[in-house]
Amino acid sequence: MRINGVQIDDTFAEAFSMKATRLVITAIDLYWAYRAANSFTGFASSVIDCGCEAAIERELKPAETPDGRPGIAVIIFAMSTKQLSEQVRKRVGQSVMTTATSACFSGLESQSRIPLGRSLRFFGDGYQMSKNVNGIRYWRIPVMHGEFLCEETTGVVPAIGGGNFLVMAKTSRHGLAACRAAVRAISRIHGAGTTFPGGIVGSGSKIGSRYSFMTASTNHRFCPTIKGLVSDTELTGEIGSVLEIVVDGIDERAVRRAMRDGIRAACAFGPRKGIYRISAGQYGGKLGPYHFHLHELLK
Amino acid sequence: MSALTLTLTACPAESVDMSPLVPDRLRGLRTADVGALRLRCGNRTLRVREIFRVASGEAGRLRVLRSTARLDAVGAGLQAGVIEVHGPVGAQLGRKMAGGSIRVDGDAGVGAGCGMSGGSITITGRAGDFVGAALPGEAAGMTAGTIYIRGDAGDRVGDRQQRGLIVIEGDVGDYCGSRMLAGTIIVLGAAGRYVGAGMRRGTIILRHRPRLIGATFNSCGGLKMEILRLLFRQLPRAHRRLASLKAMKPLAERFAGDLAVGGHGELLVLQDPD
Repeated sequence: MRINGVQIDDTFAEAFSMKATRLVITAIDLYWAYRAANSFTGFASSVIDCGCEAAIERELKPAETPDGRPGIAVIIFAMSTKQLSEQVRKRVGQSVMTTATSACFSGLESQSRIPLGRSLRFFGDGYQMSKNVNGIRYWRIPVMHGEFLCEETTGVVPAIGGGNFLVMAKTSRHGLAACRAAVRAISRIHGAGTTFPGGIVGSGSKIGSRYSFMTASTNHRFCPTIKGLVSDTELTGEIGSVLEIVVDGIDERAVRRAMRDGIRAACAFGPRKGIYRISAGQYGGKLGPYHFHLHELLK
Repeated sequence: MSALTLTLTACPAESVDMSPLVPDRLRGLRTADVGALRLRCGNRTLRVREIFRVASGEAGRLRVLRSTARLDAVGAGLQAGVIEVHGPVGAQLGRKMAGGSIRVDGDAGVGAGCGMSGGSITITGRAGDFVGAALPGEAAGMTAGTIYIRGDAGDRVGDRQQRGLIVIEGDVGDYCGSRMLAGTIIVLGAAGRYVGAGMRRGTIILRHRPRLIGATFNSCGGLKMEILRLLFRQLPRAHRRLASLKAMKPLAERFAGDLAVGGHGELLVLQDPD
């Protein structure tokens, strides 16, 4: 299969099950909402060593937020509800509550819920108050800027992590241009997020390593500088850079749409702009139950 | 289909206990069966048909026409369904109701919504004392639900209120929110004396500063309160009648109290932006 002259490998992206929640972070203006959201989603690129994966989903207009202030929707993913709960508590407590004028609300309806303000309220040292508004409980924690307002719980849904595709380019500069366009396309998909820096992975990994203490290591078959050394390399001579875009989503549809739109945006650059091939990371079924076949996605 | 309609044909000599006449209990009854139901009236009982003309209608909706203040406990114990009353009602409107909605186009007597645990009450006229309060001998008042009063209300609004929302567009009497345990009261008119006396927790929002605020309430100064912004934005979404709140600014002087009983409650006296 080829799109705009770019070869699409007959392979699939292998993704795995996660748990996710969406939070709505608001503040006095968008600048401060972004400060909180950026801090919240910091060091949250991969569950391999960050404990979670998190991304900014989109900006929210005042009309879309519970308190009528500008806001940011963020999605956070973890391997279990327990881990998600722990990460949400730490990140909202240390990154959102510490941001001046911020407030934090649940952005996802679900029967399954994890604590939000319920665990953070103790910061109020006995001066905290709750308020039930239209059946939803909010905690009011007195802080130095005023009150930190936080919904009591947030909904948790089963989610998918590790949807991905690889963009093989002449150079990193060519690859980055295409990948940035792909990330922009993915950012328009509701319920999907790219959690790595800039949405792009420069050092994609495979499962396992020749070192027993490593759970993941460099995906050597896609490393251009050792393609002459590696017997099972996936790269041909003209490919000088491989960049990966990893997509997490709150459902299969979101991941599918994000991958499709992202690949199409990258392919729009074509071989003349240094984009030669699109592939995907699959690990022989060892990683997870979700298989996103590229040819099927792009039909 | 229209509601099951009870039209008052004879004014009872004494107060009538209307608690048997709630939609969820009338479901499945024929018009004749409804007319044969017995109601307490003073120290005797009478049948519904003796004072009402009964017209059949949709199960789950009850309309009372030509009502009088001698009809007590209208909608008491309501679990689901809708009651519309045209005219005044007596004491304990919606007593211990758990769901559904009641609308009274007229005044209500004492104890409207006392002990309610869900649903909503709308009174377009005035209400008496003890709105949403505890029933005599009980420890807590309303525990959930919404009471909206377009007119004035009497004394002791929300006495021992535990949760839920009371909104009064008009004035309230003395001891508004007295001994409140939690919940929210919004008064858009003037409030009488001793607002929040003995309140442990909860929020009383006052559009106008009362002439006297108790010595056991300490001012925390004029503040921009984010909880007000949330309330003024979210309440109109659930309650169409509260649309006027949307225009209000989240500026208030906050008084913490009642310090005599812990001081975890608050009076929020709204301020105009200058």
